[in-house]
Amino acid sequence: MLLAILLIAGVADWAPARWASSDPRTLELLAGTPINCLLLEPAHWSPAFSEEAGRRSIATLGVVRPGQETAALAEKAKTARLAGLVLEGDFPPALLSTLADSKVLVIELPSRTRMKFDAPITGTTQAVWPGINPQEDGAAKAAPSGAPWIDTNSGFLRFVRAMARGPVWIGYRPPPRTVVPLARYFQAIGDAALAGARWIVSLDQDLERRLLARDEAALADWRRIAAHLGYFDNKDWAAFGPYGHMALVQDVESGALFSGGILDMIGVKHTPVRPVPIRRLSDQEMKSVQMAVDVDPTLLSPDQKDTLRRFTRAGGTLLTGPPGWRFPRQREDQITLDKEDVEKIDQIWKEVNSLTGRRNLGARLFHVASMLSDLRATADGKRLLLHLVNYSDFPVEGVTVHFLGRFTKATVYEPGVAPRSTAPYEIEDGVGVEIDKVGVYATLVLE
Amino acid sequence: MITAASAASARAQSKPLPAAPVSIARCASYDEDQVAVLGKMFDQLGGLDRLVRNKTVTIKLNLTGSPALKFQGKPLGVTHYSHPKMIGAVAHLLGRAGARRIRFVESAWGTAGPLEEYMLDSGWNVRALQSAAPKVEFENTNALGTGKQYSTFKVAGGYIFPAYKLNRAYEDTDVFMSMAKMKDHATCGVTLAMKNIFGITPASIYGDDAGEQEPNESPTKGRVNTCHFGKRQPARLAPSERDPASSREPGHRMPRITAELTAARPIDICLIDGVETVSGGEGPWIRGLKYIRPGVIIAGTNPVSTDVVATAVMGYDPRAPRGVTPFKDCDNTFLLAEGLGVGAADLSRIEVRGVAIAEAMYRFAG
Repeated sequence: MLLAILLIAGVADWAPARWASSDPRTLELLAGTPINCLLLEPAHWSPAFSEEAGRRSIATLGVVRPGQETAALAEKAKTARLAGLVLEGDFPPALLSTLADSKVLVIELPSRTRMKFDAPITGTTQAVWPGINPQEDGAAKAAPSGAPWIDTNSGFLRFVRAMARGPVWIGYRPPPRTVVPLARYFQAIGDAALAGARWIVSLDQDLERRLLARDEAALADWRRIAAHLGYFDNKDWAAFGPYGHMALVQDVESGALFSGGILDMIGVKHTPVRPVPIRRLSDQEMKSVQMAVDVDPTLLSPDQKDTLRRFTRAGGTLLTGPPGWRFPRQREDQITLDKEDVEKIDQIWKEVNSLTGRRNLGARLFHVASMLSDLRATADGKRLLLHLVNYSDFPVEGVTVHFLGRFTKATVYEPGVAPRSTAPYEIEDGVGVEIDKVGVYATLVLE
Repeated sequence: MITAASAASARAQSKPLPAAPVSIARCASYDEDQVAVLGKMFDQLGGLDRLVRNKTVTIKLNLTGSPALKFQGKPLGVTHYSHPKMIGAVAHLLGRAGARRIRFVESAWGTAGPLEEYMLDSGWNVRALQSAAPKVEFENTNALGTGKQYSTFKVAGGYIFPAYKLNRAYEDTDVFMSMAKMKDHATCGVTLAMKNIFGITPASIYGDDAGEQEPNESPTKGRVNTCHFGKRQPARLAPSERDPASSREPGHRMPRITAELTAARPIDICLIDGVETVSGGEGPWIRGLKYIRPGVIIAGTNPVSTDVVATAVMGYDPRAPRGVTPFKDCDNTFLLAEGLGVGAADLSRIEVRGVAIAEAMYRFAG
């Protein structure tokens, strides 16, 4: 138990990756990368590997899935000197309780509906592969209308981040028998990091095999993946928290665990929105909020309803879901909305869109249709940080951001490039900043 | 029924159709000195000064479709939008020639918001454009915009609508310029200076979500149902169609609407950007699009003359009838425009200055 407690203390800093080898020499491949925690399948559990990993300050975790002999594997994990087990999937409660009583550190990655927000690490393996995916006919879109849809886990993860006590991991793997383009790895890392979560790095079989064989091209790709992984670990950015003058009052029962839900719909419009879990709804949470969306008012307690009443009396704008409509109950195997439900929440979305219009709720972004963003601020609001993740396979030139408020200094960060200053210029309600080009990630810090 | 050919012929019998010189220049890249290239072209047309000095110049850009839709991830200006560098150069030249006011206009897709924001969404540096010349303005003509009322533009002897209601910017100007991209077009055969003018129609009145009685000043859709397919009439503020029983086929309607808009709101200066563009259609929503680099710019003062030369440069016969590429699925806009007296679609009557058509030719269907 002591070991488990000691480990938990360092858990917050774990940067996890799946590893398909028990050869201690492969650990050399992690030198210079931020990865310090490896998830190993039972075939790769080995005391020699764990010991060498320990010497390199790398934690080793054994992956167990339902249907395997969990109790026996827990014993085997001890023999292999693993730091703990990762339970991928949904396990019987009795087994979980037995493991909880053991001296083994257990990290659960169950289905989304079974996630535990008070666990040392909250996570799941249920996810979409982030990116802009072509339509059935292979075209990006078939009309001169809207933006390409971005498949993302970021809305769901932002809610989980608002709920979870500890770090948030998302552990999906590349689709089987698929060679994943390098940019898609960057997008997977950024998609999680945008929401303050970590993707458990997982290489496609081809890259994994070539990397372990020390193929030159694979090594180069691996170094780039590692550089992008480390990008979001900038310690100066730790002081920034979620920011924006719009709040989405939502919870597990009102669709917060879906991908492609309301948070994502608002997210693609780059409206800075903070998820406020119903159970956290308070006057303090609503401070500085100008506009709120209450997805399902029937889920609110009388006290919570009073909180929103005070919010509107103080001049806040409140939008509620369609009367009589409730979010569908999420099935355990479900991560995206059914078509009919998408059509229903489209009503909410249209109202949100018409209410926000051209209002600046923290930042307005231009030329960012292929991107998602996350606006953060320091507690005193004197510094803002904006992360941008580009999900297209092409760089985007000429991005403009209009920030609310007066700032005199702006710094642009990109992976592998020295930070550079750019001069904010005055606009009607704040300052504008231009970024010449966004490759995969860019970050703006305003002071 | 009036056919394009018979209308042209009737017109031709009454009075000679106008024709004007057209300038062609080679320009391999937007990184070339656009001011020098365009300046020389305008000089070949008699100089910008005489056209714009002390005048308000309104420039209709070609920003078709949502800026969110890109082709192969390329900047919009190298595929299906006007290119910002060329726009900046034009603004600079107009300013230098003494234009009193330069107003960029477009009916921005699906929005009545400021055109500046639409341009920002296209990745353009609006501040640079603003500073390219004194008194540069922007107007989104997809709705009422900064005006108080719409202007009426009557069509003499037109085909589909007897008149159009347009944003006031199209009336409140001395010189009207169409700055188009050189492209194929699904329902008009080619997108050139004339087809670009279809974009002056406000979606507030001609849009799919326009009000039946009153304009919708917050349009979010295109104009397909009213214009392309004639499934509905424009908002009552604007005159309804002449003949609601006429063909609803886009290949019949769109060339006619294009021709009569050009007649109703005459174009004084045409500038066609064929430096980098796409072939196979007008935007990424068309299948079979291809990115190409014809490396050519065409300018003129008569829209039919200019478009006819540009069509020839694209490797097409400008007088081709319906059924022949590029007018495979539509009527020939130029012949329809001839019928309205806009200009002569006759290459033999057009003086080409600068580079010869044969030297500039880039076969779009190639």
